[in-house]
Amino acid sequence: MPTVRVEPDGFLIDVDPGETLIEAAWRLGYVWPTTCYGQAECTRCHVEVIAGAEHLSPVGDDEATTLHLLWGRRPNLRLACRVKLDGDVVVRKRGVRGPG
Amino acid sequence: MTDQLEVTSGDEPFAMTGNTRVPTPRYYDPSFAVLENERLWSRTWQMACRLEEIPSPGDYVEYTICDQSLIVVRVDRDTIRAYHNACRHRGTELAKGSGSFRGGQIACPFHGWRWNLDGTNSFVYGVEGFAPEPPADLCLPQAQVDTWGACVWVNLDPAAPPLLETLDPMPSLLDPLGIDQMRVVWWKAVTLEANWKLAMEAFIEGYHIMASHPQLTQGEGEEYDPNALAYSVHQNGHSSYVSRPGAQRHHRRQVDYLDEVESLIESSRLLCDGLEAMTLPRDLHVIETLRRRPVGENTSLGSELVGAIYEHAKNAGIPLPRLAPDALARWGGVFFVFPHYFVLPQYGNALTYRFRPVHGEPERCLLELWSITIPGSGEDHGRPAMQGPFAPDDREHWPAIPLQDFSNITRQQRGVHNQTVPATRISHTYEVGIANLHQEVDRYLAQPLSRPT
Repeated sequence: MPTVRVEPDGFLIDVDPGETLIEAAWRLGYVWPTTCYGQAECTRCHVEVIAGAEHLSPVGDDEATTLHLLWGRRPNLRLACRVKLDGDVVVRKRGVRGPG
Repeated sequence: MTDQLEVTSGDEPFAMTGNTRVPTPRYYDPSFAVLENERLWSRTWQMACRLEEIPSPGDYVEYTICDQSLIVVRVDRDTIRAYHNACRHRGTELAKGSGSFRGGQIACPFHGWRWNLDGTNSFVYGVEGFAPEPPADLCLPQAQVDTWGACVWVNLDPAAPPLLETLDPMPSLLDPLGIDQMRVVWWKAVTLEANWKLAMEAFIEGYHIMASHPQLTQGEGEEYDPNALAYSVHQNGHSSYVSRPGAQRHHRRQVDYLDEVESLIESSRLLCDGLEAMTLPRDLHVIETLRRRPVGENTSLGSELVGAIYEHAKNAGIPLPRLAPDALARWGGVFFVFPHYFVLPQYGNALTYRFRPVHGEPERCLLELWSITIPGSGEDHGRPAMQGPFAPDDREHWPAIPLQDFSNITRQQRGVHNQTVPATRISHTYEVGIANLHQEVDRYLAQPLSRPT
């Protein structure tokens, strides 16, 4: 099962096949920043991909539209509510709270 | 509860006065459409979505009727709710179309207020800026919701009688056929330039088959017996028709039987290739085997066909329910479920229709068609998606039979405006379901709303 390492806190999140990163985090009891709750509208769940970008699912239309809104438009930004993976990835995301 | 809907005054505009005339303004008058909106659609049970559209918790489908919108949400494995689709803050629609609420939250896109899937409010942004409200006032208001026939049904009227009471007797006719086990093969939509009732009427009678669908009578023309179909009206506005018992010919000589087989193969191929509904490729394959299936002396094509269909179902792992002869006779029939749903069962399949008026346009309606089937073992049909709406004359997406129906409907809608047609003429035999539909509509229209509008 692929694992996402979330910097700077070093959280390790196992992501099931077909599951998005934020759904995996919710399943494991993490609190992940979001306002729209998985509708690819609010931009708030976005992560900066540090390593393993080749393991990420392609950017869909709704994710592309929303990513376009983000200032800076850095190419390594993705939405945790859309991204799925097939290998280990490292991302940077502040504001994630661990289980319990 | 039906008693509460007895016609009370007869003062409603363009009311039915018998069962052989339908006043034509019922098909185009804007005030009549407004009355239907206020008194009919606001309190009848309606097919909101198919169950396989919302398989997992959080999945939702928006159902719109007239100017109202509901979101049908799967809360958990056993619970489905229908919420009024309006934020408790300033009324913004919470969801559009279909999708999934993630993280167990329904979030308003405007100011970020949120609800749990059970409809309780979970978050008000800047709550200190609002006057305190009882938590119950911030819950999402619910419409009535229930399930039947692998579909979710909703009713905007909290005082409406239960779904199964209103559907009676249709479940008793259709449940034995395995309707609730069927899953979507395809789902298509068309917008018709016609009133929703007028459009439905073309499917409530089979009297039009001779002239409109000559390919179905295989050249019989006016020799095609209009009494080959037996029409029934039921309580609550429902109606149905099936092949008349005994209309089927028993074969006497082998040569007649083989002619009948070829004729059945031909008509089945028309349905299968043309529509991929009611008769699916797997059924066509079975029907073709009748050519070489040995037959006894006193058997009929019908009984041979049924035997072959069941034999194939058993081999393919299709859980086709065993049917008594009276239930088998419903294969090939048409079942209208008031106010807007049809089931046309055949073998382990069915074609179903749903009609809805286009809000504010009495002469337009949306028709959706679903081809459904009992899946064989290991078949997964997944979450269905609608194709279209396609234009009613789109020959790429509609085969001959619906094209013929859509063409008639559009022409009739224009024709009922003719100054010499104050009312349409209805057969007391073949079109009795049409009068029954309108009389049930009138029962709703005659009943003033009990709550403020």
